[in-house]
Amino acid sequence: MSTLTPFDTQISAIAEEVFAAMIDGEPGHLVALPDGAPLTDPVYAWVDMHAGVTGRALLATDVATAHDLARALLQMGADEPVGEADLVDAFGEVANVVGGNLKALLPVQGTLTLPQVGRERPDLSGATQVDAVALMWRGQPLDITVWQI
Amino acid sequence: MRALVIDDSRAMRRIVSGILAGIGYETAEAGDGRQALDLLEAGETFDLACIDWNMPVMNGLEFVVAVRANRAWRDMTMMMVTTESEHGQIVRALAAGAHEYLIKPFTPDAIRDKLELLGLVPQADLIEEPV
Repeated sequence: MSTLTPFDTQISAIAEEVFAAMIDGEPGHLVALPDGAPLTDPVYAWVDMHAGVTGRALLATDVATAHDLARALLQMGADEPVGEADLVDAFGEVANVVGGNLKALLPVQGTLTLPQVGRERPDLSGATQVDAVALMWRGQPLDITVWQI
Repeated sequence: MRALVIDDSRAMRRIVSGILAGIGYETAEAGDGRQALDLLEAGETFDLACIDWNMPVMNGLEFVVAVRANRAWRDMTMMMVTTESEHGQIVRALAAGAHEYLIKPFTPDAIRDKLELLGLVPQADLIEEPV
């Protein structure tokens, strides 16, 4: 049976590129958070990668941070309210681009599912965590984990 | 010039449309390949289509194949704008009839560079302001 090998530093590099190009317009706003930080009001976005082995790229951040992400992506005003559809769209697209670039690193060509977003962490019972990266975007925690499912 | 931006993400449609508008394009948007085909079948014409790959209902590759099957739409240039970055996927899209391929994430300059390669930057945008 195939196993997913750790992506290690490539996750941070991909995430930094995604945020610099799509969200911030410049690098430096997404940085590593060595000790991590707890999420108080989490929201999750994930895509599954099917490429000989099935993996899941799971992003987690606080709802308030996801709102800021949506505002940045959708070029909304700083105080403009973010609807649920915008949150799902924006955070899901970030997961999609991060997951798609991770999938490209797998040795076997595969497929990517459409992104899903939820307030509850998806069921990962029986899954094995392959990577965990703690990041901070504009001072707020954002975690990326990769699972073999 | 007119461009059709096809992506299931409103955020991504807005980003791509904004970049194209800045270059001088008039843009329209579709949330999947089927919606995009509906626009073409209704008689809308576009110089350029920017096409995501992974979409519900009809994905980007299926859209490219459908466009290539209709001679009336042959003049529309198709550029995949997608996270699908494996070499095999790129070859597959180009073989199906896409003209160019841009991998997410991208910068505004990356889109402009691709359009310059395709000769699809509106002329007014190429004319420098007189000093």
